[in-house]
Amino acid sequence: MRYQLPYAMLASVAALIFALVALPTVTMAQSVNDIISRGKLIVAIDTTTPPYGFLDEKLEPTGFDIDVAKKMGEALGVPVEFVTVTSPGRIPSLMTGQVDAVISIFSITPQRAIQVDYSNPYAGQSAVVIAPTGTQIASHEDLVGKKVGVTRGTAEDGILTAASEKLPGIEMLRFDDYSSLLQAMVSGQIDAMGGGDYGEIYLKKAQGGDAFEQKYPLKTYYFGIGVAKDNHNLRQWINTWLLGMKSDGSLEDLSMQYRGQPLPALPVF
Amino acid sequence: MQNLQFGPVFAHSDAFIDGVISTLVLAALSIFFGTMIGLLGAIGRSYGPRILSAPIGAYVEIIRNTPLLIQLYFVFFTLPLVGIKLSSNWAAIVALSIHLGAYAIEIIRAGIDSIPQGQIEAAKSLGLRPYRIVRHVIVVPALKAVYPSLTAQFILQIMGTSIVGAIAAEELTAIANNLVMQTFRSFEIYIVIAMIYFVIVQSASLLFAGIGRLLFQWKA
Repeated sequence: MRYQLPYAMLASVAALIFALVALPTVTMAQSVNDIISRGKLIVAIDTTTPPYGFLDEKLEPTGFDIDVAKKMGEALGVPVEFVTVTSPGRIPSLMTGQVDAVISIFSITPQRAIQVDYSNPYAGQSAVVIAPTGTQIASHEDLVGKKVGVTRGTAEDGILTAASEKLPGIEMLRFDDYSSLLQAMVSGQIDAMGGGDYGEIYLKKAQGGDAFEQKYPLKTYYFGIGVAKDNHNLRQWINTWLLGMKSDGSLEDLSMQYRGQPLPALPVF
Repeated sequence: MQNLQFGPVFAHSDAFIDGVISTLVLAALSIFFGTMIGLLGAIGRSYGPRILSAPIGAYVEIIRNTPLLIQLYFVFFTLPLVGIKLSSNWAAIVALSIHLGAYAIEIIRAGIDSIPQGQIEAAKSLGLRPYRIVRHVIVVPALKAVYPSLTAQFILQIMGTSIVGAIAAEELTAIANNLVMQTFRSFEIYIVIAMIYFVIVQSASLLFAGIGRLLFQWKA
């Protein structure tokens, strides 16, 4: 009994030393050559964001983002190791060097770009107004006199609520989650809804969901591949690789496969 | 401890007032309709023929054994498929009334069962007509006996209105949730609405006690 305490102390001191020695080595930005000589590409993903990242029947990660990561590994000639992160964990995973890249619906914003660097957009998603095929809706004005559903607190809620304040007669119905919103649309309790541009693929699975279409976009978000700040070497390679993915139609194919529709026009910067 | 800032919350006090009004209207209408269902249902279940009492029993069992949230979803999302489309607020009132009705039937029926058979026989032997027997000898004493349980159920009903935001009805809690998303002052907003609910429910308790004294002045 008496010797257990020193051993435990010794172990924790050893762990501390190991952590101090090990940490600085992993925080170094990995160049393309480092990744190839290490023999694997480490990518942060999120498996709770269908259709971009989710788990398939065998509980293997799959989705648009996961396939992009796999294709990146193929291009580099190395296998991909996935690290699952939550949405707030994306930036820290790059800053601590746990991963080489983040491919996880990582919207490009100026605030985030202070801490990490982004590739050119490889995908984009719009918040759109969705309504039955027969109705004529092309702008906020056409929503006057209609019931418009949104999920409480989303970007669509903000944009459409602002519109309803300028245009009295737009009746806003706010639901607690996306499934209630879709159900309200399918059961005809609302005339139009604000949602993601992939919303149709879920509507089409619901009963009578074929009769809906996207009417007009509210706002478009662009997803970039995140790399550690100032890792220009890797970022430049990713941008070059993305050019090929766009020009040979690979990205477009992935979008049709997972999102059921083409990508929006992707700007470069 | 987080720094509490109530300024952004009170800037939206008109929204809270709207919410309180909606909550009170939802509660008052559903308590009224629910009690009517309860009264008629209890009489029907106790004295009606089997063809009447059996469906009432089934209704009571179905409602009391399913969650209120599912009943709300059913009225709002499923009834439109058979052509009955109610707005969020009306769907909430219908679902809440149906919900309270089932509980009220059971509570009032317990009161009716507590009336001694001899009291009814005495009324009959005095030559009272059936309507007067039901009203004065059965229902009023039954209601008096179960009035505390009934008002406890009414209080639960007032608090039950807080979940109807799930079908986009705008009441106090739903409006508070909207404000949380706008101001991100969740702590302050939930503290404020908790206090508002406390005041509403306390006032309602006093009101029900006062009504009880007025209605049941005499000694049975």
